[in-house]
Amino acid sequence: MREEAGIATRVTDEAADTGSTSPTPVPNANVPPAPEATPPVPARGVRRRSVLHPATWLPATVVLVVLGLVWSGVAEAHPYILPRLGEVGSALVGDPLLFLENAWATLSVALVGVGAGAGSAFVLALLMSEIPVVRRAVMPFAVVLNVTPVVAITPALVVAFGFGMAPKVIVTAIITFFPVLINVATGLRSVPLPVLHVFRTLNASRWEVLLRLRVPSSLPYTLAALRVVVPLSLVGAVVAEFVAAGSSGGLGTMIRNSASTARLDHVYAGVACLAAMGVLLLALVTLVEKRLLFWHDSRRPARG
Amino acid sequence: MTAGIEVRGLTKRHPGARLDRPALQNIDLEIPHRQFVSLIGPSGCGKSTLLRILAGLDRADTGQVSLLGRSPKQASRRKAIGLVSQTPALLPWLTVRQNVALPGKVNRRAGSEIDSPDELLRAVGLEESADQYPHELSGGMLQRVAVARALGLRPDVLLMDEPFSALDEFTREALQYQLLGLWQQRATTVVFVTHSVREAVVLSDRIVVMSARPGRIHEVLDVDLPRPRDRKVVKGPHMHDLEDRVRASLQSAWKAGAAPDDLVPL
Repeated sequence: MREEAGIATRVTDEAADTGSTSPTPVPNANVPPAPEATPPVPARGVRRRSVLHPATWLPATVVLVVLGLVWSGVAEAHPYILPRLGEVGSALVGDPLLFLENAWATLSVALVGVGAGAGSAFVLALLMSEIPVVRRAVMPFAVVLNVTPVVAITPALVVAFGFGMAPKVIVTAIITFFPVLINVATGLRSVPLPVLHVFRTLNASRWEVLLRLRVPSSLPYTLAALRVVVPLSLVGAVVAEFVAAGSSGGLGTMIRNSASTARLDHVYAGVACLAAMGVLLLALVTLVEKRLLFWHDSRRPARG
Repeated sequence: MTAGIEVRGLTKRHPGARLDRPALQNIDLEIPHRQFVSLIGPSGCGKSTLLRILAGLDRADTGQVSLLGRSPKQASRRKAIGLVSQTPALLPWLTVRQNVALPGKVNRRAGSEIDSPDELLRAVGLEESADQYPHELSGGMLQRVAVARALGLRPDVLLMDEPFSALDEFTREALQYQLLGLWQQRATTVVFVTHSVREAVVLSDRIVVMSARPGRIHEVLDVDLPRPRDRKVVKGPHMHDLEDRVRASLQSAWKAGAAPDDLVPL
């Protein structure tokens, strides 16, 4: 169980890295010429192995087993600090409905929140790219909103909106807003100049340039942002549930309540559920990305 | 002969450049309709700037430009300008066919009909690749798609900015002949920026040699090679004379311009 949580943090860290330091994809007008007849000569290290090949799954499995052993050792010695893995498992199996209901509550907050946050960020980025005044008017506040720790705002939001879904959705939306705004704004501006020139000699309208050129060009950036922000939405939802622990359930609420009653098996079972949800969400975004960005450099193996 | 392109007293200084070194100074140029004209000259001579002004992408400080009697802006409103740049500038998320069809999809108010994309692709020998995406094609094929896209609207003027300079020797030569064939059939006015003497001689009716700092027209040379130009014509002895003449003209153009600031005197 611990291992799953470990994987989830690693994944989000990685995603956060790609998102916050620099927008990964750089659309390139010079598409590298594809060799007409490519003999399958795999370069060293980029070779694609089957998932079933031991070299693919063995390293992670070894780490998994080691971590499991360490966990079990600690759990035996200090049962009040770590529950046994078996206990966590039986908590999950014993009352699956409890976890499913709470997971659904958290997931719906996360999804509605990321929908609202990413959606409004996308629209605002479009406005900013077309109307420079909007950019100057909005950007400072977006930055301030981004640097303010959202956890600090959450109690005030709970006071204002009660213990229902609203404050949680707002927290999630705030967390997911900024990365999308920045990435999409960058993406909309990252149009290769020669292509823009072709559109201009055809006297294409601004709307046509936006729709046919800028928005598709921004897709790699938008999806890079979503890869960060969709799993991040779970963080927003759980944080909000911690603060507004109460009536409406959710894994965050459940974890908090279980911790205060020393039900460690439930705590870790809840964490495991969150980790699994995070992985699933990330896989979903990756799938969409593969579908939409088949044309982009980042989707093709590097050829030398 | 009607003037395809007329440029009168054109001057352009890039913002921040020295006052006595405009990018283009006093350019007068008349290109009869359906001629193939190359612009050649040392770097910094303003040949690309001139092309951008003709395309309506840049505005001249003074002087007039007319493409078949219209300003570049008016011409682009009627979608009468075809542009091919050094990079193919295709949209990577569209298939080759969709890319070629693009000029017909934007600015529909112009009302001009585009040739059938499949026919255009056949003309450049790429009908097989119509459903492929740009990343599946080689550099030479991509540039052919770009040429097909530019020709689709049957433009009054075709502006080409070093379109083949990124290609290897063989591909480049093949594309030159293909372009000549297309131009022979469709007969538009072509302005072709290049830095290859050979390319200019093979393709053009006239070669405009420019000098740099300030950017000026140094000399206009007629190329009296017979058309259509096949490999036999191009291999003839007259070809070499012409190449030598252009080279000599480039030499004197080089001497006429002020020394570039970034060159260390020998």
